[in-house]
Amino acid sequence: MSSEPSETGKAGIIVAPDDAPPMDKLTHAVLDDLLYNIVHDLLVKVHRDEKIARANTAAIKVEKLAKSTSDGATTDPKPDVEIETDAAIYKDGKVTLKGNPLKSTKEILCPRCHLPRLVHPTDGKGAKKPDPGVIYCKKHPYIQKPGYDIYGQTWVAPGPGRGKKKKDQKLDPNDPSSPAPGAEGSAKDRPANVLSYPSATCPKCKRCILVTRLNNHMGSCIGNNGRNASRAAAQKISNGSNAGSQNNDNTPPGSQKGTPRPGSRAGSPRKRDVDEFDEDVEESDQANPKKKKKTKANALTKKVILKAKSPATNIKKEKAKASSNLNVEQKMDDDAKDSTVEVAPKKQTPKPKGVSPAKKIKLGPAKAQLPSPAGKKGKRDRDMESESSETLSSPPPR
Amino acid sequence: MAARPATPASPKNHKVRAPQPGQPMYGCEHLQRLFNQDQATTNTSIQHYKAILRSIFDTTPLIPQTAKAIDGQIVTSLTPTYLCLQCPSTLTEDDRTKHGSKKSHRFYVDSRSGALYCQMCDDIVWDPTFEELRLKKIGTGTFSTRKRKHEELFETSDPVRDNPTYISSNTTAASCKSSGLRGIYNAGATCYQNVVLQSFLHNPILRNFYLSDGHASSSCTVQYCLSCAMDDMFQDFYALENTNGYTAANILSGFWFSGKRAFDVLATTNEQDAHEFFQFLAEELHERNGDGKKPESGSEHSCHCIIHQTFYGKLQTTTTCQNCSGVTNQVQSFLDLSLPLENLGHKKGKKGGASRGALTLQECLDEEYIKSDKCEYRCHNCSSMQQARRQTTIKRLPNVLSIQLKRFEYKQGRHERAAKIDTPVRFPLELNMLPYTNRGRGSGGSSQDANKENYELARSCTYDLLSAVVHVGEIDSGHYVSYCRVGDQWFAFNDHKVELAQKSDVLNSKAYLLFYVVRSLS
Repeated sequence: MSSEPSETGKAGIIVAPDDAPPMDKLTHAVLDDLLYNIVHDLLVKVHRDEKIARANTAAIKVEKLAKSTSDGATTDPKPDVEIETDAAIYKDGKVTLKGNPLKSTKEILCPRCHLPRLVHPTDGKGAKKPDPGVIYCKKHPYIQKPGYDIYGQTWVAPGPGRGKKKKDQKLDPNDPSSPAPGAEGSAKDRPANVLSYPSATCPKCKRCILVTRLNNHMGSCIGNNGRNASRAAAQKISNGSNAGSQNNDNTPPGSQKGTPRPGSRAGSPRKRDVDEFDEDVEESDQANPKKKKKTKANALTKKVILKAKSPATNIKKEKAKASSNLNVEQKMDDDAKDSTVEVAPKKQTPKPKGVSPAKKIKLGPAKAQLPSPAGKKGKRDRDMESESSETLSSPPPR
Repeated sequence: MAARPATPASPKNHKVRAPQPGQPMYGCEHLQRLFNQDQATTNTSIQHYKAILRSIFDTTPLIPQTAKAIDGQIVTSLTPTYLCLQCPSTLTEDDRTKHGSKKSHRFYVDSRSGALYCQMCDDIVWDPTFEELRLKKIGTGTFSTRKRKHEELFETSDPVRDNPTYISSNTTAASCKSSGLRGIYNAGATCYQNVVLQSFLHNPILRNFYLSDGHASSSCTVQYCLSCAMDDMFQDFYALENTNGYTAANILSGFWFSGKRAFDVLATTNEQDAHEFFQFLAEELHERNGDGKKPESGSEHSCHCIIHQTFYGKLQTTTTCQNCSGVTNQVQSFLDLSLPLENLGHKKGKKGGASRGALTLQECLDEEYIKSDKCEYRCHNCSSMQQARRQTTIKRLPNVLSIQLKRFEYKQGRHERAAKIDTPVRFPLELNMLPYTNRGRGSGGSSQDANKENYELARSCTYDLLSAVVHVGEIDSGHYVSYCRVGDQWFAFNDHKVELAQKSDVLNSKAYLLFYVVRSLS
């Protein structure tokens, strides 16, 4: 800093007390200068945007005027006229400014559609009512209002009857997507700015599905999992070997035991070769529906084990393999489940890093199912499974 | 002023920018007079302006910040000084008026921004000719026209604006309302996809690629092509007036139909990891647009597809044998930088005691790309296992740098479970990656030339935050939201909901993924 007795920095806001030691005064002055710089930079930025917009507005206006004074019909972009407004001069196809556009021009025209820009938002923070007699450019200032988005839109809260569970509704008070209490227009007499969730067409089955259910639908329609799959699987299992029959969920759990047990291979994670069988298995499932049932339980425990064993780079492949092996897995052995259960607790080996939050989800159910000895417990598993997939298929909390 | 070279009679005549419709020719009447005096005045003015910009942006700030007062006293200040356009003096704000009345020099350049001040207007003026030079200097570091303008990529809502007449006669202009700001509906636990899609949508490189028909979806024959779905989405965001949320049905179905085995595990109806989805999307789009080769992690594979041009950089791992000092280099390309938080958080906790927590992004980067670690390796020279030092640096920086902060980890112990690390990590709006590159490591010259080179190098390694993906809530019941920057304004995206966001909201969030875009796109 200069040796002159400049007591403070340039902003003059942060001032050291008179009796402060010189070092204190210096630091105060430096801080004050930095504050000045921040404000300076911000101002330069805003000034630039505003002044350029106004200068361009002045130019647009005088160009428009020039066009209309020359023959209306001419399409010449540079009519040969001389026009002068308060803010600009049009001459030889060139626009030059007159005075400072910040003073001479009050409004801002959109450089693209040449309509005036709305300066204040129409709602929320800093809102002002726009002049109803003016057609404004469609680009409006963004709205800042709790419970509404930048366009002043809000959404019909996904209420009960839309597959919402009680626990989901509890979240609603904190959920910004539900309309603010007392805000005009709850779902009933919806004003224009309250939107409902749209539907979309599934590219495979061409059915129209509500967007909140789209992922689940595609899961079952394209990806062959999700609620329907597990239901179908449950049905197949409970229906015994009657291919394709639909109802009767009341098969006693004992009937599930009828599945043949080819061997103990299920304990081994290396079954890459069976990958190709996937499709076949899927189809043969129809004939041999019992096999499907254990799919999840097994696959889940399996996955966990695989993860623990495989080095980081292989994880994904292994996992993929595991999931594609699902069907094969239990075909191999229903009983093998017990053996997997034995192995499962060992999975407490350190995990490779960077795993997703979601994976834990899978661990949950897997554990729950671990201790199940076949038989009665098996049925409970199935129930749990369809129930949990039911929860998933309901629209998520947010 | 040593920094400002004497202006030799240049054979080239500098031109004032051609008049554009809807824009005045000059910044103010006084500049108009200056430019219309004669060609020589125009030449010297523009040359001086360029020289001033160089001294502002290419040298240490000490030079433009040092002013010589009228009484001969030399003052260096933190606050802006004014560089006279017509003579080589630098003045403080107070002395500017005196200088003006004494020498009748009327134009000065602000030493912080390079903006031009006109004393007769008593205001900063934004002249199209000068402003173009200034933006080029800030954007690319040169005045050459071949490089892309900084402005073009960041400030515009219409990405194509080359020749206005040609375009207007061949296209229908998008409505002023379509700004690319729309939410994406949650199709049932798909917020992990939405946040990644939003960050792609506001990525200027990808946006320009798709909006300039980079992926010719009309002639694409791939069924359920994800790139076509992306193309559709970009069109819907930037061309339609719709402000309602977007239904990403095509993306979702493309995702379900995708045959990528590695990501099979993603295709469930459960909530998934946004980072994995990012990798999936990048690989899938690479396959649709690139050379068709599988990107192998660990190899130096590079292709010229849009994804590689945007996200991929190269890492160099240097292993130095402790025995024979033999050095081996290994280069591999990367899609993103993954930074572990756990260990660092603990280390800091021990050191700082109560102030445990608060890391900075730079500390995490230091840990990975500045510090070296020990390892065992088989040395060719010694032909035996040896202790070695291994150091990883960035060999080539990508245009868009994606950083993952590893917030999700498996806890060991009796109850093994995935856990979320909530340690706040402070990240900057502006990130300098130079220290983490192998060029940044080597440079240490002090001469004038090296200095200038360093400024240019540092400029080419400066990144601006583009978007941040945040995971809120618990690990298994949480939700993803994201923040994206459009121009200078930040927006918060929460599925279908778009709201204005403050910079402080962004910077205080516990980010999971960060996307930085290089400042000077060349």
